[in-house]
Amino acid sequence: MTATTPVAITGVGVVSAAVTGDSRALGAFLAVPAAPGVDVLAPGALASLVHPDEARRLSRVCQMTISAARLALHESGLDPACGLGLVVGTEFGDLASTHAFADGFLERGPAGLSALLFPNTVMNTMVATTAIAVGARDMALTLNAPTVAGELAVARAAAAVASGRVPAVLAGGVDEVDAVVERELAHLGLGRERRAEGATLLVLEPAAAARARGARVLGEIGGAAWRALSARPWGVGGTRTSRAVDAALDIAAAQARDLGWVYASCSGDDARDRWEAELLDAVLPPAAPVATLARLLGRHAGLGALRVAAAAWTARSGLLPVTNGTTRVERVRPGRGLVHGLARGGLQVALVMDAA
Amino acid sequence: MKRVVVTGLGAASPYGAGVVAYWKGLAAGDCAIRALTLIESEGFRCRIAAEVPGPLAGSARRTRADRLAIGAAGEALADARLSPRERARTALVVGAVGGGMLEAEAWYWRGADDGDRRGALQAVRAVLPTAHAETLAARWRLGGPRHTVVTACSSGAVAVAEAAELIADGVVDVALAGGVDAITRICFMGFNALKLLDPAPCRPFDVERRGMSIGEGAGFIVLEAEAHARARRARVYATLAGHGMTTDAYHVTAPEPSGDGMVRAMRVALERAGAAPSEVHYANAHGTGTPQNDRIEGRALATVFGEGGLLVSSTKSMIGHTMAAAGTLEAIATVLALGHGTVPPTANLATPDPDVPFDCVPRVARSAPLACAISNSFGFGGQNVTLLFRHGLA
Repeated sequence: MTATTPVAITGVGVVSAAVTGDSRALGAFLAVPAAPGVDVLAPGALASLVHPDEARRLSRVCQMTISAARLALHESGLDPACGLGLVVGTEFGDLASTHAFADGFLERGPAGLSALLFPNTVMNTMVATTAIAVGARDMALTLNAPTVAGELAVARAAAAVASGRVPAVLAGGVDEVDAVVERELAHLGLGRERRAEGATLLVLEPAAAARARGARVLGEIGGAAWRALSARPWGVGGTRTSRAVDAALDIAAAQARDLGWVYASCSGDDARDRWEAELLDAVLPPAAPVATLARLLGRHAGLGALRVAAAAWTARSGLLPVTNGTTRVERVRPGRGLVHGLARGGLQVALVMDAA
Repeated sequence: MKRVVVTGLGAASPYGAGVVAYWKGLAAGDCAIRALTLIESEGFRCRIAAEVPGPLAGSARRTRADRLAIGAAGEALADARLSPRERARTALVVGAVGGGMLEAEAWYWRGADDGDRRGALQAVRAVLPTAHAETLAARWRLGGPRHTVVTACSSGAVAVAEAAELIADGVVDVALAGGVDAITRICFMGFNALKLLDPAPCRPFDVERRGMSIGEGAGFIVLEAEAHARARRARVYATLAGHGMTTDAYHVTAPEPSGDGMVRAMRVALERAGAAPSEVHYANAHGTGTPQNDRIEGRALATVFGEGGLLVSSTKSMIGHTMAAAGTLEAIATVLALGHGTVPPTANLATPDPDVPFDCVPRVARSAPLACAISNSFGFGGQNVTLLFRHGLA
């Protein structure tokens, strides 16, 4: 995004252990937020959201993505035939299929290899199957990043919509809990972050086009940007210059003092969380309230997009779920706020959010 | 929209390190597909691949794919002669599929064998394709927008297209874009399982073709806003005049039979470049050597350019399918073809398939006046990309 070209959110699809549904379901959850007792989807949770044939053929993470996509498109009322792109962020992709594929070989040699599983070992399998399921035939990207993949996908998609290259984009993130990764992180003593699974996808389109077709605009992305801050691979840095935030504010023609609240990516990774807090302290107005949904819902790539959808809800309602020790809902200034993401390695993402 | 030019090239290919070795091998029609040594291939129908010979750049502690990326990216940045100040604002877009999977597999195999879990953290980190971008950004202090795209076999081309959009939209003046993949067990075994590998070196566009050959490598390109390149008097190899990205939305592994998605990608690239089909003289085809892909790509090329409307070749016939690196290495081959006025050949092509109604430049490179050329890349999931280059500052 390089100029003030508001991008509207017209549909939300969320699939997670805590909440599954569209923007209304998400709003109802955020108004009375409560951590779910589990971090993984209940068995059968996707049964009503995918076709029986899809349930039989597709991996679980692909089913999550398709489910969220259908929920978002249904709420939006957008016809994919008018030109629909797809941008999905993920940290680990379909790692479960990769393990299964490798295990087939380790157990039975070449005869144990599954030609059906192999395509799932490529990280774009969720985009490929979702494009088929919903008929998205324009640009389709899978973005890989730790921690911020979901909000990065939304930011990238917003830029594509703002540039006019694609009429509308389904954008968001997805991850599933992977048993091998969780086992090894716990074994290494690195399991402090709350990790979970789920998918969130949003329908983005030019605000003017959305209004022209009579769509309900749930919120607007006034500016979105991502930048690499100086840091070693997987390390945290020392800079307090938030270049992505500066760029997003510039695109939105906004000032930092305009930001009434923030959704941050703070997730329980102490060193990364401290760096993010320092960056936000340096740029935000004093006492701007900060919401950190990862402590409530667990970190996964879908959460980044869920925070964008939640920010649209906050911009509309003036309510912000705060999870600092206890979980409560605070009244904040409706309207303009910020979605912020920061990953180890220094990738920073910022989206300036506005009410419709 | 700002015009986008190419001002730096870097390659780590099955011919070895560097763009000079890469072009020399392509122009000579040398097939670098040989017996596979990196991983065990006992019991598989195909036992060949195109490996990058050593020595590799970077520390031996890094993953093989990281080292390939470091070599190619370092060459491209040095070629473009960017100052540290310019690099601090440079965007980085990397196309990757396997990440450090080769090393993660070794860890997983060892654990399955004897329960040894040492090195788990490195394995978990390395397996992410985004690891390459973090390595490159930290090494050269690239501070612009950074992202990693995974679109299967078209990843390297998508990275170039993504970087071009960042420049065209005025987000940055300079971007480093490329693709990288090392050979992995998963990839080799998977394509074997799909029965898509030819036991002999691949023969794209040949009536007897039996599948692809896998390879590895890295290709990186420095893209720059034309005005910025002019202002610093940078050498300009070519203009990236247009690109198209589409999705088949048809099948996870098979291309849409009519080639509609490929046709749309090529037409979008032409439209954005303001080019007529007759202006395009050469297509560096995706040309994997599978019966289905080559036939459908041939049909799509004929739909857009007319039968025999341009020269077509597949450099995969010489370096194999380098996966995420393919789109960028082939873009580099296309840029070099424009610069040298030479079309690299399709090696191993003995009997052209009449279903591909073009002169596919069999076995020997061809001198030809080239002003405009395209590079096609298609990936699993029907992810189609076309890059359109014009020679110099067109």
